[in-house]
Amino acid sequence: MKKRGTGLGCTWYGTGYGNGFPDVSSAFVEIHDDGTAAVLTGAVDVGQGSSTVFAQIAAEELGLRPEDILVCSGDTDVTPDSGTTAATRQTYNTGNAVLKAVRQAKLRLQEFGARKFSCPSPEGIELKDGMIGVRGDPSRSMPLSELAWEARLLHGERFISASSFTAQTTAVNLENGQGAPYWPYAFGCQAAEVEVDTDTGTVRVLKIAAAHDLGRAVNLTQVEGQIAGGVAQGVGYALLEEVELAEGRIKNPAFARYLIPTALDVPEIESMIVEEPEDTGPYGAKGLGEPAMLPTIAAIINAIDAAVGVRITSLPATPEKILAALAEKQRGGSGG
Amino acid sequence: MTSVIGSRVVREDAWGKVFGQAQYPADLNLPGQIYGVVLRSPHSHARILSMDVRKARELPGVAAVLTAADVPRNSHGVLYRDQPVLVAEHIRMVGDPLLAVGAESLELAREAAGLVEIEYEPLPALFDTEEAMRPGASPLHPEVHGLSNVFYHLPVVKGDLNKGWEIADVVVERDYSTQMVDHAFLQPEAVLAHVDARGNLVIQVSTQYPHYDRGEIAHALGIKVSRVQVKTLSIGGSFGGREDISLQLIAAMLAYKTLRPVKMENSREESFYSHCKRHPMSMHYKTGATRQGKLVALEARIVGDAGAYASWSPNILRKAAIHATGPYEIPHLRVDSYAVFTNNPWTGAMRGFGAAQPVLAYESQMDILAQELGLSPLEIRLRNIFRTGSVTATGQLLSGSVGLEECLQKVAPFLRQEEDKE
Repeated sequence: MKKRGTGLGCTWYGTGYGNGFPDVSSAFVEIHDDGTAAVLTGAVDVGQGSSTVFAQIAAEELGLRPEDILVCSGDTDVTPDSGTTAATRQTYNTGNAVLKAVRQAKLRLQEFGARKFSCPSPEGIELKDGMIGVRGDPSRSMPLSELAWEARLLHGERFISASSFTAQTTAVNLENGQGAPYWPYAFGCQAAEVEVDTDTGTVRVLKIAAAHDLGRAVNLTQVEGQIAGGVAQGVGYALLEEVELAEGRIKNPAFARYLIPTALDVPEIESMIVEEPEDTGPYGAKGLGEPAMLPTIAAIINAIDAAVGVRITSLPATPEKILAALAEKQRGGSGG
Repeated sequence: MTSVIGSRVVREDAWGKVFGQAQYPADLNLPGQIYGVVLRSPHSHARILSMDVRKARELPGVAAVLTAADVPRNSHGVLYRDQPVLVAEHIRMVGDPLLAVGAESLELAREAAGLVEIEYEPLPALFDTEEAMRPGASPLHPEVHGLSNVFYHLPVVKGDLNKGWEIADVVVERDYSTQMVDHAFLQPEAVLAHVDARGNLVIQVSTQYPHYDRGEIAHALGIKVSRVQVKTLSIGGSFGGREDISLQLIAAMLAYKTLRPVKMENSREESFYSHCKRHPMSMHYKTGATRQGKLVALEARIVGDAGAYASWSPNILRKAAIHATGPYEIPHLRVDSYAVFTNNPWTGAMRGFGAAQPVLAYESQMDILAQELGLSPLEIRLRNIFRTGSVTATGQLLSGSVGLEECLQKVAPFLRQEEDKE
């Protein structure tokens, strides 16, 4: 018989290296003579989309299109060290370093613009839609491309910057664990609907509804991508994947016997974002990379219990474990 | 206020990935390249008594056979350099790298590796964390980590646990366990290393942290970081599995030794043995709540199997302890978290980094408590979740950006109520 149930998973995640370890990212920025720009960071885009995020941050600040920003990353001869792509830290940490560096170069542009347009302060100079000029006075503005060109040719002025950002945490006390080991924290909840076949013990995840507080979504498509990937990985962890060992030897070092989810295992996913801005993040952003997979695990396990009344306490929840628990329950055991 | 932030900008690498121009390290070749392979240990715990590489070195077409004796500084590791580049004597896990061969073809390299004669003395091995934790258990890393296999322990203590049990109306106690898993990234490790016109080592690889790799390569070879370039190409997934250094260190050594470009690429099976795994954890949880559904006490013991090397284990078990409550305020608690060496494959970083395993325990406990108290899973969580101003188990004040309640409200409509059940 096939039975359905829903389950809830609620999680939190401290981002960054944490525990007081200096979590530093660095970035270089150069404004080209035609008004486009380059951002250089050591941050490797492992597929999650950090390079696109950095392009968006630079474009936002300089009033350019993201495609006008060249992002160069992960080459030790060229780029500064921006730490590892891990710990859900690149949007927040390197994003902040990029933002600081871009704002430095931007301030130099604004200072140049203030002199050019006889504006009393650099803050009165706006960069928008490829133009630079006095805020609220379109008659005193020009394309950024022309200004950058003029700055170099007539004045030998360049707009180049470098900056670093360090996340703030403290080490925990080794006697009692007290301290402020991470910042910021990301939060997420997911609801799973599953269908359990009581004859075979197999679980189909029909739907995952995922809501994640990531501070601020920089790129909505990539946010959905992170959630979809996290859900798929969570499904694998909860139901399928296990490195089987015999005396320390891996029994299943091949995808024929090490099962990861395929397209057929990935449920319908409804992603919802919660934007509770983080004051220290770029535009309020925190991060989403790792948190996306966490609630899936619990949502599925709790949904199995809701569907058939057995509590699986060891991962993965294989058909064998579910059938054994169902049999135990029938015999009047605790079902766990 | 903004237009670019929060929009749906198309990824800058989308074009290349859709149309096939994206280059992964396995796509790279250089004229005159040789092919590198690693011979790995079939034993989980053993001593190397002798290693005879003469036949391998004499095979025509073999450019180099490297052993521990060829490594200037034979250690690497993200927190502690407790992992040998090539094992000199003490094998601690199946898959430990013993030697590297560079040859004119992949087949020749494999053939040469097969000609190496090694004499082993198998040693008693530990595969179970509880056994490895026992006083008197033989320590796996006496030189670096001392005489116990428990190389990290963090207690997190808050409030008065006795008082917590006194005021608890319901107590739920269970054991949970999570399994070892692999990152299973789609692109197995691959690297191209060569010495360039400047005399510098150039390593093209997929990695999560090129600057770290550069430092480890320079350290192992005893050269300055300014002589090493690590350049990343397109990356086919990582999830923590490309944190510890892997083939790139061995390829760099082969290139430095032979002055030939060196190509290395793992098969899937080799890949399973050449990066870390996710920590299996066993978790004992005892949670108490009042009749009103307020959590008042938690006692938890979390043991993580670090396998044969430390990697990120202390940070991962620390993270497990810090996140053990789940996103809930609990006034009285004690959590003890341990990282333990065994002769299993080494474990390290993987998406969730120690905060993934306790999810199974703390969220199962919440549902069991809800059942005992006659509350819905949603209601018990609403009565305990972190909000702005909450204080965590480590005494940290959550001063802002705690959007958990809104997350809960957003998923609530997707939960079936008891009465909807068929």
